[in-house]
Amino acid sequence: MDAEDLNHINQLLDHDVELREKIKDQVTELDKKARTMVGLLNKIHSTPSNLIPALLDSVRPTLDSCREATAGLAALVPPSQFWRWKDQWANALRTVIFAASLVEYLASGKLISLAQVSDILGIKEEWKDRLAISAEDYLHGLISLVNELSRLAVNAVTLGNFEEPIRISLFVKDLFAGFSMLNLKNDTLRRRYDSLKYDIKKIEEVVYDVSLRKLAAPPVNDTAPTTS
Amino acid sequence: MSQPIIQGSSIINIFDGFRADLDDYSDRRERLIKASRDVTNLSKKIIFLLHRIMTEDAEDTDRALSLRAASAGREKLAEVTAIYAEIKHELQGDRFWRYHRCISPSIQEFIEALSFMHYLEHGTLVTFEDVQHILSDQHGVPYFILPLDDYLLGLSDLTGELMRFAITGISRRGGRSKASDVCAFVRRCKADLERLTPYVRELSRKQYVTAQSLEKIEDAAYAIVVRGSEYDLPPERLDDIVALSVSSFGGRDRRHKRANMDRNDEDDER
Repeated sequence: MDAEDLNHINQLLDHDVELREKIKDQVTELDKKARTMVGLLNKIHSTPSNLIPALLDSVRPTLDSCREATAGLAALVPPSQFWRWKDQWANALRTVIFAASLVEYLASGKLISLAQVSDILGIKEEWKDRLAISAEDYLHGLISLVNELSRLAVNAVTLGNFEEPIRISLFVKDLFAGFSMLNLKNDTLRRRYDSLKYDIKKIEEVVYDVSLRKLAAPPVNDTAPTTS
Repeated sequence: MSQPIIQGSSIINIFDGFRADLDDYSDRRERLIKASRDVTNLSKKIIFLLHRIMTEDAEDTDRALSLRAASAGREKLAEVTAIYAEIKHELQGDRFWRYHRCISPSIQEFIEALSFMHYLEHGTLVTFEDVQHILSDQHGVPYFILPLDDYLLGLSDLTGELMRFAITGISRRGGRSKASDVCAFVRRCKADLERLTPYVRELSRKQYVTAQSLEKIEDAAYAIVVRGSEYDLPPERLDDIVALSVSSFGGRDRRHKRANMDRNDEDDER
């Protein structure tokens, strides 16, 4: 290799290293916010349902501030290189998606859409070759949501809320039906999907316990547990 | 909120979209892995072909052999670039990096073959620009932007082939001076790549292999010098003596066999 070529290559590689570092800084920011939210949301397991809206209000400012990190990332990633760098922030982003979906579920009882999450995080359509939420990341976030809801089903009962497990059961079943439609490959998503059945089992057991003891009114339609 | 909120039954619709998305991804991935495997196979065959031509017992000079190897190699390389031209549309825009991991091994193998051919013809390292140029259509539009990592890792593999080349050719006429050329060249390659090793994952492992290859060439060169020193003869005379004893040892018969083998190999490739 002549010296000029070598220097040139060296420069290009240096530039990549610099970019990686800058992206890492933004990811650290995003990760901090994600962890803050998870920390706050952990209180749902010990918060009576009438105080939940106030708790969610305390999470929302952090959720909204994630826009800064996503804008920072979108500004750094060169055109068409979304997939080259996305592994760096995938974990943090999935946690943020999970937090957003949990906030939405607790606020409205509904599933947040991918478009809604993008909206909350201020991810713009024209960024799509630099920064976007991939289907995979969104689905990972939803699996975390199910994991969390199975815990909530148990803890809601402890707090004396016997209806919540039934709501959760209906919601998770719909979600699971959705996941069942996917042809998943042998990847992490597949493994996590496979673990969903344990969450569902746990939720069903709670539903079984409360309905057997007539602690809660039976669900209105028959998508309810089959264990009874 | 401006976006509609998902209700129970419409979850199915949403996931229908994801299914199409994921299926599209895995289908394309399969196609690219298949094409990539074809490229790897072809590239390996090119490397064998080059080795074969360079060890032919022809009357040609080394220079003539090199040129013949290069032109045969170039013809085969065109088959590889044809594959890249075919899959180009699968790699447009942000897709290239999404599927990079599927095709990266084949790019490296291709660069190994290309750089070996280039070395035989020019005695130099193929430049990044040259490789990118070959990976472009006739209008100079690249099939994809060649990643630096793949370029460097492909070059790193070249040293192994050069080791084989130097050692198998060492008993041939002029083989010893060729081996020492190769030795110097590999040494330079290793030094150049050393500087870039911190930047490229996997390169440090490959540098280790390069070091081993280099050592093998050095050992071979050493043995020749030590043994050669026992005879006070100029190198050309030594070549003659070696050539004579090889040919008197049923060389004719062997030559015949090798020619046959070559023909069989060619048939296999077709």
